[in-house]
Amino acid sequence: MTCRRSLIAVLCLVFGVAARVCADEPYPSRPITMVVPFPPGGVADQTARPVAAAMEKALKNPVGVVNKTGAAGAVGMQSVATAKPDGYTLLLALSSISIIPEADKLFGRQPAFTVDQFAPVALISADPTILVVRAESPWKTAKEFMEDARKRPGQISYSSSGVYGTLHMAMEVLSHAANLKLRHVPFAGGGPALTAILGGHVDALASGPSVVLPHIKAGKLRVLAGWGDKRLAALPEVPTFKELGYPDVEFYIWAGLFAPRGTPEPVLQKLRETVRVAVHDPEFKSAMAKLETPVTFKQGEEFKQFFEADAHRLAEGVKKVGRIETK
Amino acid sequence: MVETFQNLYLGFTVALSPPILFYAFVGCVVGTLVGVLPGVGPLAGISLLLPATFGLDATRAIVMLAGIYYGAMYGGSTTSILMRIPGEAASVMTCIDGYAMARKGRAGAALAIAAVGSYIAGTVSVVGLMFLAPPLAAFALKFGPPEYFALLLLGLLVLAYMSGGSMLKSLAMSALGLLLGMIGIDQMTGYFRFAYGLGELGDGIGVVPVAVGLFGLAEILATAGQATHPIVVKPRLRELLPSRQEWRESAMPIGRGTVLGFLIGIVPGSAHIISSFVSYAIERRLSRHPEEFGHGAVAGVAGPESANNSATSGAFVPMLALGVPSGPIPAVMLAAMMVHGVSPGPMLITQQPQLFWGFIASMYVGNVVLLILNLPLVGLFVNLLRIPYPVLYPIIIVFCVLGVYAVNGSVVDVWIMVAMGLLGYVLRKVGFETAPIVLGVVLAPLIEMSLRQSLAMSDGQYSIFASRPIAATLLGVGLVLLILSLRPLVSRTADWRARLALAAKGEES
Amino acid sequence: MLTTDRVAGGGLTLFALVVLWESRKYPLGSLHNPGPGYMPVLLASLLLLFGLLVLATGGRSEPFSTLRWDEGRHAAAILGTCAFAAVALERLGYRLTVLLALAVLIGIVERRRPLVAVAVSAGVAFGSFYLFNTLLRVLLPLGPFGW
Repeated sequence: MTCRRSLIAVLCLVFGVAARVCADEPYPSRPITMVVPFPPGGVADQTARPVAAAMEKALKNPVGVVNKTGAAGAVGMQSVATAKPDGYTLLLALSSISIIPEADKLFGRQPAFTVDQFAPVALISADPTILVVRAESPWKTAKEFMEDARKRPGQISYSSSGVYGTLHMAMEVLSHAANLKLRHVPFAGGGPALTAILGGHVDALASGPSVVLPHIKAGKLRVLAGWGDKRLAALPEVPTFKELGYPDVEFYIWAGLFAPRGTPEPVLQKLRETVRVAVHDPEFKSAMAKLETPVTFKQGEEFKQFFEADAHRLAEGVKKVGRIETK
Repeated sequence: MVETFQNLYLGFTVALSPPILFYAFVGCVVGTLVGVLPGVGPLAGISLLLPATFGLDATRAIVMLAGIYYGAMYGGSTTSILMRIPGEAASVMTCIDGYAMARKGRAGAALAIAAVGSYIAGTVSVVGLMFLAPPLAAFALKFGPPEYFALLLLGLLVLAYMSGGSMLKSLAMSALGLLLGMIGIDQMTGYFRFAYGLGELGDGIGVVPVAVGLFGLAEILATAGQATHPIVVKPRLRELLPSRQEWRESAMPIGRGTVLGFLIGIVPGSAHIISSFVSYAIERRLSRHPEEFGHGAVAGVAGPESANNSATSGAFVPMLALGVPSGPIPAVMLAAMMVHGVSPGPMLITQQPQLFWGFIASMYVGNVVLLILNLPLVGLFVNLLRIPYPVLYPIIIVFCVLGVYAVNGSVVDVWIMVAMGLLGYVLRKVGFETAPIVLGVVLAPLIEMSLRQSLAMSDGQYSIFASRPIAATLLGVGLVLLILSLRPLVSRTADWRARLALAAKGEES
Repeated sequence: MLTTDRVAGGGLTLFALVVLWESRKYPLGSLHNPGPGYMPVLLASLLLLFGLLVLATGGRSEPFSTLRWDEGRHAAAILGTCAFAAVALERLGYRLTVLLALAVLIGIVERRRPLVAVAVSAGVAFGSFYLFNTLLRVLLPLGPFGW
């Protein structure tokens, strides 16, 4: 009897001490996991690794990248949405984070996660998509392209990385604003979509700039216009759709850092501060320059506004696309 | 031509410099380790180890990654031959005849043939890569969804040729495999098919858990409880190497496998596993002793293994010549290049000759390194088999679980492996072959996607298949092959398969 | 007479019917614009056909009762252990799961000496963890106590 009681007492003491110790622990005191919901080598992964490395330097605490792939990112995103909000699990997400719950709703599925299960930390990069066509095609300007599309509805084809994916939605945003009817040919990812246009199997592609720049420079592809707010630094002679008279046509493939909702505010603050330091780190800057991805850093309220506007835009786009009709 | 050799010389000076050599060696060793692990193949190996290369400069990183890639392909055949567990999905065909050879005591010979075949295929295909990269790449780009669909239909025909015995049964298994491949997100419309709420099934059930379960786990389930355990005949050193007869038998299959694998590997998007399946089928069809297949035919090991390895070089053609990712593995390599500041694209060969030729030279070097690594290790691996089976198989199971889990970090994959293991066990009991299921799982989503993409491109017109020359040619070839195989139904002469079945029955009675 | 082929054919037919039933919620589309249900229905119909054919021609194969399931109990034990591993892998962590699974298989199912079982289990569990998690940085799940 006394044996058991003293055992209980000892256990309580141990747990009490442990709890006190844990509560007083400064953040961070354990390795942080950054979940990337896409396979290695993709845009998200390539952005995540320099960020993680720079954050590790700033925090003097290990930050490890883990790829949790599946279902166009849903699996990894869901795992962070349900993770413990203690600041040790972060998510590096692309803009598809807003699309997936909408698509789920469209099909009447239980959403894998919802956007409000996350607390935005910071935006790292935001590439506007650009419209590319083959160099041999007859359209020299975006205007010619759109006029031709209106004259021959449903005849001009474009590839995308998958239905309801970012490249698909970008084109849809344009089609709705400019009243175009294009033929959509989905592919299984950005790589095959690029291969398709290079091989001449489709006419157009809305793509992130970094993957197509080498081909533009080599003269295989021609870029007509961009979906950004401003012209791209790498392509200063390319107009934006806004300039061409379509103020609603804006689309970015962005990468941002998120934490599960409920992460304590001081931890979030520390994270934001760390990311701010990280993006100014010279090694990070050179890594991003190698990827030809301009860094667009937004945090806190600014990021929240950007994110909500983008999420709203994407949700509207998905609803307008609706279910793909199979007559 | 002279320029090519000059460049190659430049490449070799890069590749043979001690630091580069070191990284190639490390890559090969790590790749072999990763490849030996069941299920974890080159893609998983490269993806898992990509972060480790970030601190290195571009050439070293690429060379190490290429070493991992090759090493994984070599290592994959080791587990296939010794334990009938596919070390990676593409080694499934090697499991069949390779393991049968091991049972007959010819494990060393099988391993050596696989190693040498892989080496020859790898080296020759690198030569092909070197000389033919730009023109071949342009040809490869012309493969769009209609061409791809025609090619895959041809691959489906291969399914019918793959197994001996009842054509009906292997067709049924193909249909089953194709059906299982339908699980997952429909890429054209976004519907989740047959996923029942499991997000992890969104990308399909995955060929790795299916292959490891159907072949590895099922094999263990069938043999573990038997009274007499498979006894590995203790080989003498002389018996470790293939006999002259075996070398002779493997020469032509290696040659055919090399060419075949290279051509299939060039086509963007084709999986390596297709090249080994097609090679197996062709070897079986062309062999003078088709009844040996499934019981230790040398050609059944030499052909698929060579095809596998030359497909890897083929896959690099579009990647290096055009900067186009022709599959998930080249995509990761491209990303690795981008991370290190090398911008891939059509200008890569001219702008970065050091990288390109250094890469090619390191592929030669890598092949040699692996041959050197693997041949003496043959004895070591065969000795591993002498651990008593009741202790060996639980360890093998652990590695199967580890391998299958490591690919995606998902327990759902382990469950799929368990389910497939049970299925494979039952199917073996009732006398059905399981290889067509694996091919079906791989082919089904590809066939469906390319068909619907082709129809999307042509706005629903089936005439697109006739109007594009490559697609039309491939479909024509397929039609001819189909008619040829149906000929026995019309004429009285028995099909070679029926002859096989008769011979087998004659043996039994 | 119940033969192996008839049982197999029956099983395949049943599976095909289940799939056809499950596919009814996916739109079929048309020949020119196949929907998500098109291929599954097509393939399931093919499987149904083959299953029925195997069933019909199955009279010539061996009777089902002659099938020997000697290794069945063993196989069941192995499958059970694998299922346990799947359940426990992320809850108990890699090392603990492997240790338990191997110990059960070697010690209990195969009835080897307990010392051998534990030694091999511990060796493989910790050795492979070190090799893959630490050296190769393949992240393996850790259990509740960091194991």
